[in-house]
Amino acid sequence: MGRTLPSITQVFLQEEDALRRFRRALRRSDQLALDELLDSAQQHLAAAAYAGSALPLEIFLLAMLLEEHKEVARLRDLLEG
Amino acid sequence: MLLTGWLFDVYEDPLDGLAVWLLGDDGRRRRLRQAFPVTFYASGPEARLKAVEGFLAKRSPAAQVERTERCDVFAGRDVPVVAVKVPRPADVPGVFRPLERAFPDLSYGDVDLQLSIRYAAASGLFPLARCRMEVDAGGRVLAAEALDSPWDMDRPPMPLRICSLEPDVDPAHADPRWLVVRCGEQEHRLALNAPRAMLVNLRALLLRHDPDLLLAARGDTWLLPWLIDLADQWGVDLPLNRDHHGKIGRRKERWYFSYGQLVYRGEQVLLAGRWHIDRHNAMLWDDYDLEGVLELARVTCLPVQTSARVSPGTGISSVQMLTALRLGVLVPWQKQQAEEPHSALDLFAADQGGLVYQPKIGLHRNVSGLDFVSMYPAIMVNYNISPETVSATPRPGAERVPELNLWIDRSRPGLVPQALLPLLNRRVALKERLAGLPHDSPEYQLNKKRASALKWLLVTCFGYLGYRNARFGRIEAHQAVTAYGREALLCAKEVVEEHGGEVIQMYVDGLWVKDCPADYPSLLDEILARSGLPVGLDGVYRWVAFLPSRVHPRRAAANRYFGVFQDGEVKVRGIEARRRDTAPFISATQLAVLKILARHADPQDGLPEAWQALRQRLDLLRRGRVKLEDLLLAQKMGRDMEEYKARSPVARAVAQLQAAGKTLKPGQRVRYLLTLGHPGVWAWDLPSHPPLASLDIARYEELVLRAAGTVLAPVCGILESQFPAYFRQHASPHEFDRYTSQALPGAAKALPRARGRAPASLPV
Repeated sequence: MGRTLPSITQVFLQEEDALRRFRRALRRSDQLALDELLDSAQQHLAAAAYAGSALPLEIFLLAMLLEEHKEVARLRDLLEG
Repeated sequence: MLLTGWLFDVYEDPLDGLAVWLLGDDGRRRRLRQAFPVTFYASGPEARLKAVEGFLAKRSPAAQVERTERCDVFAGRDVPVVAVKVPRPADVPGVFRPLERAFPDLSYGDVDLQLSIRYAAASGLFPLARCRMEVDAGGRVLAAEALDSPWDMDRPPMPLRICSLEPDVDPAHADPRWLVVRCGEQEHRLALNAPRAMLVNLRALLLRHDPDLLLAARGDTWLLPWLIDLADQWGVDLPLNRDHHGKIGRRKERWYFSYGQLVYRGEQVLLAGRWHIDRHNAMLWDDYDLEGVLELARVTCLPVQTSARVSPGTGISSVQMLTALRLGVLVPWQKQQAEEPHSALDLFAADQGGLVYQPKIGLHRNVSGLDFVSMYPAIMVNYNISPETVSATPRPGAERVPELNLWIDRSRPGLVPQALLPLLNRRVALKERLAGLPHDSPEYQLNKKRASALKWLLVTCFGYLGYRNARFGRIEAHQAVTAYGREALLCAKEVVEEHGGEVIQMYVDGLWVKDCPADYPSLLDEILARSGLPVGLDGVYRWVAFLPSRVHPRRAAANRYFGVFQDGEVKVRGIEARRRDTAPFISATQLAVLKILARHADPQDGLPEAWQALRQRLDLLRRGRVKLEDLLLAQKMGRDMEEYKARSPVARAVAQLQAAGKTLKPGQRVRYLLTLGHPGVWAWDLPSHPPLASLDIARYEELVLRAAGTVLAPVCGILESQFPAYFRQHASPHEFDRYTSQALPGAAKALPRARGRAPASLPV
């Protein structure tokens, strides 16, 4: 039954870990913003798994962009009433 | 002589071939005998098969050797074989072992099959079958036929005589003083401090009542081994076996890994002519009980004593082997099958499981739960997925698996789908029947246990399809099943969205849909039409809360939720009340609070009452009104004690037990109480209990508040981690109005948009 590839959750944690040095060097406020971006990517793990991409970070970046775009659209709606 | 009755048991008899026990309609239990030659096969190159014939003629003259053909499922065709027929099942090892040593390069089939499966395949009889037997004066079975089928929905209950044996205390905890024996309406208490008298009395009871089933508490791991040794010591002939010629079978304790968990299985004691079941050592006993064990025995054709003790995986293997025997397909002895080569890109697409989404965190109202009916077994049956039908190269007429470079031959029925179809049909029929029965009726309980036993068989079947060492396992078949599963779930999502529903969560074979269109039947029909798989409505939730991870409060946990159906039934997953390590008092408190919320269309209306109930429960705890048993935490021993680095509570409890001379095995459950001072725990299986005053009530209070917070925090609109402090600060629940109307730090993202409210900005 065992799997050959790591699960998408493991891949996500590995990518997160790979950003550890980058995160450490950021200012505290930026670190929190980065954490939120990562949280937003985590919401789309199932779709990222289904994509079966050899470069999962690309998919995670796209997932962050997607959530950012939703937020922009929501704020725009608020502004425009 | 013609006899009718129930087939009770079948096992090897070294002289006659088979011992067959019949529970007659006349009430008599008969040990009959039956000649039963068995056949196994060797296949390989022609010259080697010729050599096999020569070898057997010289070494095993009693074996009948014949050249024939047999279907090799992995080769996908009939292959030439040497069929070796030996007069009795007991003769197989003596003929096979030297043969296999001399010809290790050949493939062998039908060698190591359970006798009961061979018997079922040859005779059409199955354990507990109603049957008619023609028997000669010497008790030899001349002919036998089944009068019913394992798939019959209604059958008269088998008139079993059950005798239960139970020590007065758990022997792991303290030395028992009494053995309580119940036969029918009668109860006898036998004093253990007078061993000879106890043995003599037990002997008399066994002879007088002649039970079919000994249902013993700790029978495998303590009672029967102890009784056998004691009877030996005192020279008492204790008739545990009903068969005077039969031996008592003893199997050693063992450990194994299953789904990443260490499982401990105690020693087993199997009787001849009588069944012995230890409900503490039986598989899934709490889930499906004796009725489930009997159901498993009927459909898997494993003996009752075996089906009570083996995993559902062994059960499903048996069903497959039985199907293979009936179809004339070789059951490989040692499978020699390698995975086909794949490209890395193929692996990215194929090496996936079911789709597990991250739910939208928070409280949602009017949510429908849709479930595919037995999704993976249904896929195997519907798309004909079996090791021999899946191929990594396109074949004419074969169907491509969605998104993968795999093809399925649907022109001939596969072995696995043929084995599964009757199980699947029966489970669906039982579920349909259950839907029409009141939950408190005995008939409901009976059918529920049967359905549960079948569920476990079907669930395991998928895992075995991908298990390298399973006789009929093949990874490509496993991958094909999950690919069809993902496809079906995405089809369902698309249909739901086209109908205007919002998908809150998807989990392998289920969807949670907010504001699902009212016309369910046509929605479900459309999903069936597009995905090819049946979908059912699990229920409509008045409200359901999906919870975040405890570690990352902004990240959703895939399978942590609770909700209330429209009929008031509560469903919980992944929270404390479902976990076996939670103290019963804590589980009960969490469920009590949840049930109060469940009485309200809007759970916030239930908060004042829930608040009060929680206070009362804490009060009971503080006043020492909770039974010690209800405060027991339990944890499985994962590794040997030496390997524990951090001194966790369970490690400290284990150390206490070891100091008291008790040995524990990895995989065994350790129960303990939390106490004040050092070492902070009290192992339950120590000979004495701690004084009430030494219980660490403050830590229990934290645990209670944490569990209550799991269900109350999402309703209050705060984070779970904030709940204990919040509860202590707010004596009255009326203050909620104020608090839920304004954003608490971190609470905004805990309840994003779920209530149609714009989230407040997060203070950074």
